[in-house]
Amino acid sequence: MSPTEKFTEELTGIQSADIEAALDPAEADGIYRDSRECAALALFKGGFGLLLSPPTPRPKKG
Amino acid sequence: MEQSGTSPLLQGAVQDLASGVVSALRSGDHARAAAPAAADGEAGGLALAAVRVLGADALLPATLLRTPPLPDELAVFRKAVEAFPPGAGAAPTVVWSHWAMRRTLRRLDPGHADGPDEEPDAAWLEDTTWQLLTHQLGVLAALAVPGEDCAVTRAAGRRPVDVARGFVRAVRRRDWRQAAGAGRWLTLLEGVPQTLGLENGLDFVELMGGQDPLVALQVRAARLTRAGAFV
Repeated sequence: MSPTEKFTEELTGIQSADIEAALDPAEADGIYRDSRECAALALFKGGFGLLLSPPTPRPKKG
Repeated sequence: MEQSGTSPLLQGAVQDLASGVVSALRSGDHARAAAPAAADGEAGGLALAAVRVLGADALLPATLLRTPPLPDELAVFRKAVEAFPPGAGAAPTVVWSHWAMRRTLRRLDPGHADGPDEEPDAAWLEDTTWQLLTHQLGVLAALAVPGEDCAVTRAAGRRPVDVARGFVRAVRRRDWRQAAGAGRWLTLLEGVPQTLGLENGLDFVELMGGQDPLVALQVRAARLTRAGAFV
């Protein structure tokens, strides 16, 4: 096996693992909106109202 | 060889491929994604891997615009299907992605025969949380094409409100890829709440995440589906 073939085989082997990882990704960590984006949402055609809904009230402790 | 460099390399190749598909969807031309010149050697291995990761969407222009794929595009697609079958114990998304590619190949290349068209198991989607459902559907957005009927599309069809909730959650988390994938599914589902504002939501996802070709591809696919360009 030539060095090039060996390299290709190694590359392909690694890619198989990478492919499976790429096709079964963990969910990305959430990054929540800052105030600028909140403003952008508010201004954005005013039609995406659900995103601007206030969060569900949490039950009070005690 | 350093393994650490392979994954970003593959990610870059997938993004380049997705850019080509987006361009083809906009122009109505062929994607030229599966470049025949890249079918041999190391670059060829990377190109094939990229096709495998993008999955059935690598031939999305042919599916949505009904433009017959070029023979060399089909050949590279077929090679990717054959070169990277799911490994033993592969995750459901890996198995379903491969199934979707085989289904696409059958549709676009009727002469292709590679065994029975048995659907993989989709039980993992039943009774799962709406968050996980949306995540998995986002990964499998290539299955969200008009006329597709399989266990995954049926599972999505039974839970339009959950997918809508997942879409909103993804936007709020700024997970643009998941949001775009969920939005693409929602264009196909019946019973999506009107209050969602899907059209504006897709605009927003494109505005915020559209510089990522994988996001742009999903949004473009959603728009074409909504516009009925495939009819």
